[in-house]
Amino acid sequence: MIEFLLTLAILAGINVLLASGFNLILGYGGLVSVAHPVFYALGAYVSALLSMHLGLPVPLAILCGAIFAAIASFGLSLPSLRVSGDYLVIASLGFQLGIVHIINNLEITGAASGLSNITSVIEGPYRSWIYAGVVILVAALAILAIRWLVSGPYGRAITAMRNDEEALAGIGRNAINIKVTLFALGSGLAGLAGGLYAHYFLFLTPDQFGIFASAALLTMVVVGGAATVRGPILGAILLTLLPEAIRFLNLPVAALGALQGVFFTGLVIFFLFTRPEGLFGGKTTGGLQAWRGSTAVRPRAKEAK
Amino acid sequence: MNFTPDLIAQLAWTGLASSSSYCLFALAFALVLKVNRIWNFGHAGIMVVAYFSMLVAFQYLGLPLVLGLAFGTVATIAVSVGLEKWGFNVLRNRNSSTLTYFIFTMTFSQFMIYLAELIFGTHPKTLFASIMSPVMLVGPIVISHWDLIAMATAAALVAGLWLFLRHTREGKALIAVSDEPELAEMYGISKQRAYMVAMALSAVLVTAGMYLMGTKTPMYPATPMNQYLILAVIATILGGIGNVFAAGIAAIVLALVQSFSVLVIPSTWQVLLLYVLIFVVIVVFPRGVVLKLPRRGPARAAGALASQPADHAQGGKP
Amino acid sequence: MSDLKFTLSRRALLAGSLASLAMPALIRPAFAQGEPLRFGVADPLTGPSAIFGEDQMQAVRWAVEDINAAGGVHGRPLEAIIVDHQAKPEVGIAVVTRLVQVDQVPAYITAFSNVVKAVAPIANREKRLMLSVGANSPDIKNLGDYVYTTFPLADVDMRALGTWLYTNQEKRRAAVLYVNHETGTEGAKIFREAFTAAGGEIVLNESYEEQRSDFTSLVLQVRAANPDVVHIHSVVSDFTAIVAQMRQLGLNMQVTSFQTAFNPQMIEELGAGAEGIIVTALAPSVEDNANLPAFLQRWQDTHGREPNGLPYTQYWYDAPHILARVFERVIDSGEEITGTSMRQALLDIGEFDLPLTNKITINPDHTVQAPTYFWQVKDGKFQVVGKL
Repeated sequence: MIEFLLTLAILAGINVLLASGFNLILGYGGLVSVAHPVFYALGAYVSALLSMHLGLPVPLAILCGAIFAAIASFGLSLPSLRVSGDYLVIASLGFQLGIVHIINNLEITGAASGLSNITSVIEGPYRSWIYAGVVILVAALAILAIRWLVSGPYGRAITAMRNDEEALAGIGRNAINIKVTLFALGSGLAGLAGGLYAHYFLFLTPDQFGIFASAALLTMVVVGGAATVRGPILGAILLTLLPEAIRFLNLPVAALGALQGVFFTGLVIFFLFTRPEGLFGGKTTGGLQAWRGSTAVRPRAKEAK
Repeated sequence: MNFTPDLIAQLAWTGLASSSSYCLFALAFALVLKVNRIWNFGHAGIMVVAYFSMLVAFQYLGLPLVLGLAFGTVATIAVSVGLEKWGFNVLRNRNSSTLTYFIFTMTFSQFMIYLAELIFGTHPKTLFASIMSPVMLVGPIVISHWDLIAMATAAALVAGLWLFLRHTREGKALIAVSDEPELAEMYGISKQRAYMVAMALSAVLVTAGMYLMGTKTPMYPATPMNQYLILAVIATILGGIGNVFAAGIAAIVLALVQSFSVLVIPSTWQVLLLYVLIFVVIVVFPRGVVLKLPRRGPARAAGALASQPADHAQGGKP
Repeated sequence: MSDLKFTLSRRALLAGSLASLAMPALIRPAFAQGEPLRFGVADPLTGPSAIFGEDQMQAVRWAVEDINAAGGVHGRPLEAIIVDHQAKPEVGIAVVTRLVQVDQVPAYITAFSNVVKAVAPIANREKRLMLSVGANSPDIKNLGDYVYTTFPLADVDMRALGTWLYTNQEKRRAAVLYVNHETGTEGAKIFREAFTAAGGEIVLNESYEEQRSDFTSLVLQVRAANPDVVHIHSVVSDFTAIVAQMRQLGLNMQVTSFQTAFNPQMIEELGAGAEGIIVTALAPSVEDNANLPAFLQRWQDTHGREPNGLPYTQYWYDAPHILARVFERVIDSGEEITGTSMRQALLDIGEFDLPLTNKITINPDHTVQAPTYFWQVKDGKFQVVGKL
């Protein structure tokens, strides 16, 4: 049982990393991309392949995976300078599905069969204890870094960019710079999460990183509260643990998958309509409402005022 | 490989027939985008409603064809209009962000898929016991009854939509609202009503498309999400966003291109072509779509998505 | 069955679906007394593959009932803990982790190649015996010390089919269509190798993405290639869609497939179009197995139909019997029941005489051999037409 809880803790930690990184791009940056899982995938695959084929030590491989994901984010952050809002959503969707499709057809990634026999790290009876410790530590450090980033002067610049790019220029900051940086940081965290996942669970398949993964991540961020530091953490933990808790209810096993699906999608819709700011967002400071009237998302909304 | 003219002709014919449903889905998607200004990813959920309500009508209630279709259409319209009334309208009044719409519409589709799985199970299903349709030979070309039904249905609905938009009061109201919602209101046209009418029209198109699909191929609850929605979205983008009928044509062209591309591209990479298209069209040619945005001042802003090109070169230009 | 389950299945009944909801999570022992011997079972009970998973679980439940009715293992009943992996690797990892770490089963059975590969590291890491029943990727034999298959891998039946089509059916030109996932790519590859090795020619080799519904262009490629046999390695719904579209376009050549096409629903949907289709099966037919007619009768009596993927259900019925023998051996030896002792016992026994699949030998190199049967649709029913 304790092993099981440790596995859950590892998964929750990885999801916290993912959701927090996603929140950086989506919540703070107001850059509406759905492609976050693809950076998770890139980190995971690159790290796994480097350790398997080049014999790179696992921690180094994970780091390389994270860096690779961060660099790959240029593929999306540069377009985000040209298009925003709906167009960015659609472009990111194309970006994500395209890359997942490529992974799905390459020999070296194991194609649709998935990648197995990934190099394991840490052996012995305390594997899960140590791994859980590492993951939680990494997640905690990442959160601290994010908090430092968004509360400082840079954070004010980010908010300024989200709300009004012209004003941003006024305080001497460059929006292009901020967008690219946010994307790279968020995606790098996703890559890190991917590496951590790969070397613990030892199997990857392209299916894990598709549009359903995007929906799950969006749910974590939204339910927790976008554009808050605590929100995505809580959202990620909640949405990792709840499905497992539901399994303990001993519902008929054949209906479980669909029941869970109905429950979670229902939950998201409920939140969207009754508490769009999420569990942690204040009425005005966080959550989806943070972008109300922001220039990055809705170019013309300002004129409405 | 030896592709004779006969085969090419067959490829063109069958490809054209199969594209009928895609054309209807694209029209439905583009219409809602134009009038309601929402990228309605909830269309996949609406397709699920259409399909399974017809399944109930035909297989469980044993209704005859016409009644079954009517049953499916009514159910689908009800859900679509409900989606506008209790979903989009609420979000619109709150001046919600793009992302909120995206999450809501995606989640709505998933909710419907799971609900269908819960109620009907996850086995692939067809609307009728057999999916075989009688065929005849015209010269060297095989033509099935399904082909004819599909093309006739699509043609009739496209013509109907065109006439409706162009010649009826209600249709003209739709155009007016999609062009200038606030101005239209000043002339006494109800925006709200136009939004609902657009949703109802798109529901009819979707129901017809799903009927055609369901009589040709087995379907899972998730099939519309995984297959049909993405094509409708791409067709809408290629059609130039805001131009409903061009989206329909783009869907047909896309389906044909996919058919014919087997001559040059291994089928594995065909799908990739679609994704690359989305990305490239949006990113490289945003001028075609984004920067044509008219700056019409305050009137347009509330609830509007950045989706309206300046030239509303749609069938029903008033 | 609990009240909740009952209401749910009644609601499903109202909605017209008997199929998916009536599955109890635990199969309680019937007659045998004493502390139950528990093992895990993970199979798809929802999702596109549930069509097979449900019938496979029916086979498991019957097997457990029968074993317990006959006194269990030294008087102790078997108990199967059944979980749903939806044929998705990530779900598989979650549910098998639970089986191993929460329910503490010493052994578990699972299927579907992608899930089998995903959960194999758990078996090796936690030292639990894992039996793969029905997944047929040739990679499965290389997944580690604790992972065994009771089911012959694709290199058995696809090799046999390729050879048999050339030598017995005098097919010379084959077209191969396969779905782009684990089972499709591997199975198609072995078929191509076997058919060319026998002397045949592959005139077309095309893959397509899962859940595609329009196959016009693929079918017309087949027509252009003009093969005398088309091998389709697919999941069940694509198979019917492809064959339907082939038949509609007047392509009446021989179609072959493997065990997933072995189901009555396929014949119903295709009608006359199904006539002549040949599928492989790795489980014996009624001619070679005396218990099979009663098993088929049981399906008719309980469900009014044949099972989907009959050969799979034969293996699934037999899998608990294998575990019963293994449990027995471990108890006899006086060792503690752990994954390690179970694994050793499995290898020590090696050869199993089973009710529905006859004699199965589990080789130390993680492979299993069995004859391949060829079944053909004739007058709307599957009939055996060959064996290799």
